[in-house]
Amino acid sequence: MVMSTQAESSKRFPVDGTAIGDVLFKEKIPVHMKHWLFAMGTTPFILFPIQIITGLMLAFYFIPSPELAYESVRHITQDVQLGFWIRGIHHWAANLMIISIFLHMMRVYFTQAYRKPRELNWIFGFILLGLTMTISFTGYSLTYNQLSYWAATVGSNMVGEVPLIGNLLLAWLRGGSDVGTNTLTRFYTLHVWVLPILITIMIALHIIVLRGHGISQPEGFPKESYNFFPGHMYKIVIVGLFLLSLLSLLAVILPPGIGDKADPVNTPLHIQPEWYFFAVFLFLKWVPLSVGLFIVGLVILVIVFWPFLEPLLSKKESQRALISYLLGSVAILTLIVFTLIETFTN
Amino acid sequence: MKEINAQQWLIGIFSVLLIASLMVVSIVEVRKTQDFAKEIDMDKNTAECVRCHRAEHVAVKQIDAWEESIHAEMAIGCLDCHAAEESDFDAQRCPESDVLIGRHPTPGDCKECHEQQVNEFTNSKHAHQFWLFKNEDRSVFETPLGTRHGCEQCHNIGNIWPDGTVGECDVCHAKHSFSLEVARQPETCGECHVGPDHPHIEIYLESKHGNIFKAKGRDWDMDYYTTNNESIPIEAPVCVTCHMDGNEKQPMTHNVSDRLAVESQAPWSFRTVWDEENSGDWKVKRERMTSICTSCHAPDFVDMYMLTADLVNLQYNEMRRNFVYWTKKLTATGVIDRLQADGKFYSDPVLNGWDETPEKMMYYTWHHEGRRFRHGAEMMGADYTQWHGIWEMQHDMAEMLAWAAEHGDKEAEEWVNCNHPSKFIPYALYDIPGNEWGIPTKLNTTPFVYSYPDYWDRVKSNVEAAWKHGLLTDAQWDLWMERYDNRDYYLGLQFKDDPKVNELWEMYKERNRIDTEAFNEQAIGLKLPGKPFYKK
Repeated sequence: MVMSTQAESSKRFPVDGTAIGDVLFKEKIPVHMKHWLFAMGTTPFILFPIQIITGLMLAFYFIPSPELAYESVRHITQDVQLGFWIRGIHHWAANLMIISIFLHMMRVYFTQAYRKPRELNWIFGFILLGLTMTISFTGYSLTYNQLSYWAATVGSNMVGEVPLIGNLLLAWLRGGSDVGTNTLTRFYTLHVWVLPILITIMIALHIIVLRGHGISQPEGFPKESYNFFPGHMYKIVIVGLFLLSLLSLLAVILPPGIGDKADPVNTPLHIQPEWYFFAVFLFLKWVPLSVGLFIVGLVILVIVFWPFLEPLLSKKESQRALISYLLGSVAILTLIVFTLIETFTN
Repeated sequence: MKEINAQQWLIGIFSVLLIASLMVVSIVEVRKTQDFAKEIDMDKNTAECVRCHRAEHVAVKQIDAWEESIHAEMAIGCLDCHAAEESDFDAQRCPESDVLIGRHPTPGDCKECHEQQVNEFTNSKHAHQFWLFKNEDRSVFETPLGTRHGCEQCHNIGNIWPDGTVGECDVCHAKHSFSLEVARQPETCGECHVGPDHPHIEIYLESKHGNIFKAKGRDWDMDYYTTNNESIPIEAPVCVTCHMDGNEKQPMTHNVSDRLAVESQAPWSFRTVWDEENSGDWKVKRERMTSICTSCHAPDFVDMYMLTADLVNLQYNEMRRNFVYWTKKLTATGVIDRLQADGKFYSDPVLNGWDETPEKMMYYTWHHEGRRFRHGAEMMGADYTQWHGIWEMQHDMAEMLAWAAEHGDKEAEEWVNCNHPSKFIPYALYDIPGNEWGIPTKLNTTPFVYSYPDYWDRVKSNVEAAWKHGLLTDAQWDLWMERYDNRDYYLGLQFKDDPKVNELWEMYKERNRIDTEAFNEQAIGLKLPGKPFYKK
């Protein structure tokens, strides 16, 4: 009876569920993945749907106009039942998403998982980092308080410094000379439509390529494997539950405030972009702008094309590894130190 | 394996470093969003005052309060209010900086920016030092020191300053935040409008208005302006809503006398004539008040409410007339003496006295109980109208007459020995058929006075006389007459024998019988066997 029901329904819905299940759950996972260090890519993957759900809930109340954006965020935070909690989770999941992408990139970098034939997936990953930073930037600006208004101004100013097309990009992004009504509706559209769709596409590509190649196996681990389900699946569930608890805790203990309402005519003494731009922002303050932009652009290019550059470092494997460890360590330490300096000197 | 170890160490160390440092950064950043630091644009002088006061720990909380004020937001600094010239009455040099400052900013200083508000206030009775115009030297009964932090603290609201201005704005607008929220809080008015002589805060809290305020007021944002003819933004009124705030029809005013039609605090209630040339007569003032009332209430409810309160004021006068008769008579016959020294009197038979019972009764029935009777009726304080009001007045009348009888007054003796229940109503009566709350059915079947067949005609002639004397408006007289003509309906007498009513009445009558039986049995019927200890 059951069989026949299944057969009958598959006639109406001609999709082979068993095959899909096999692809999803019977993937062979190398044994090194049992190590917790290798679960860091899962983190942003779990956080993204949390952002979609909490973002949808916030969108029920948020109104993207200069007159009402701040008031609607205040309404969400102070009046709507559990509004502060949903907003807190959305805020902290965005922060954790960026931190976890950094961690995942670092793990991939040090285990040299970007090497041939996985160069493209490294680039996809870097694009995902860029998209995540952009979606966070646009989202933060929507709160329309003094901090976020001026962060949007500084952040979009940085876009304006891009050679040749900077001014055009800036005008397109702001929809005028200053951050205002058009900027808000543009940021809103980018934040709730364009960027989530792009990120979804990129995540799909990232995973398709990952699955196509199979998960890279670091040297020195036994060449054994196990099924994705149940072992690894449970690990993802545990990470997910841990993240939900952490997010809820952060949302309650450190809820994002609403600040003072944006005042376009009153520039605060210290204006900053969001913290994930701090390192670049600080560097640009220290050196002449054109030199700074050139160097930042160069560093981005080096990171993007690192899988192709790394083989050029040395022919000897051990030397290549040593140099890349050193460079990676310097880069991470610079990121941390610069970010901390900008945080605590302003 | 060495390779794996190195990788794991690197990943492990940098994971911890990245998580720790970036979480710290994001926590610092989220904390910034929780601050509501206002951008304060301080001029050089203000910055110096603030720096020094903070360093020396002098009145620093006043600076905190100022920083959250609209003054700070608008860059109105210390010297904008505290500036002084050498010749100013309150000029003093700051001991640290030698800067010349005015110690007491007066309404003259506030007026530089708030001219309309100060002018309105100056024309209000808040600014009137009425208590100094009559022979009421308190030092006879209360030593001067008692008045320093007593009478003077509240009555300073009408202080006439050496610079020729009047008032004290920060009595309501607490310095230095000058918060509207604080000014609008009923307890701000209740700092002075409290206690046995004018328990306005207590009356308010007893009323339905205060009841709703206590239940929901904590969620109300009281920081609003009513200067733009917008509707009242809170569910129930606080004191200033009726006496000062604006609505769609009424402008906001700092003249609290602008909406009061009766001088019901005075020894005799009378229709106000205060500043008629600027504010209009009492009818105009009453219109102003009712236009606020009708923001929430139906006009006929308001008219009936106000008419009844006005009749209470007129009734008070008749009761007072009786007291005045007695204290004057007892003074004339020498039963009570006036206080005097060097040819000057320090007590007054129609106002106050401090040593003999009729004088004290006279005073209380005006200054305490008489006001509670009238103000309770005006502001929905039922308990103050009755138990703290008319009940106490009647009690004092009986006590005064008993004292007079004891001291040999024949007429008082006659009153004491009289057994007729009408002895407690030795004055003319006002009344109105029914009330604004609804139609009673059995309530009006009991009053003793209704046993007089001409009761309503007597009352009607009194109300008519008051109307003809200009104490009631034509509309009020019409309303009274409409009630009079249909009094069987309003008093519920036409429903008193309705079977539905009687069915319920009988049920409660039966329950009352059971109650009576129970207390007879449980309390009265109990005889204890142990003997009492008192021996005659």
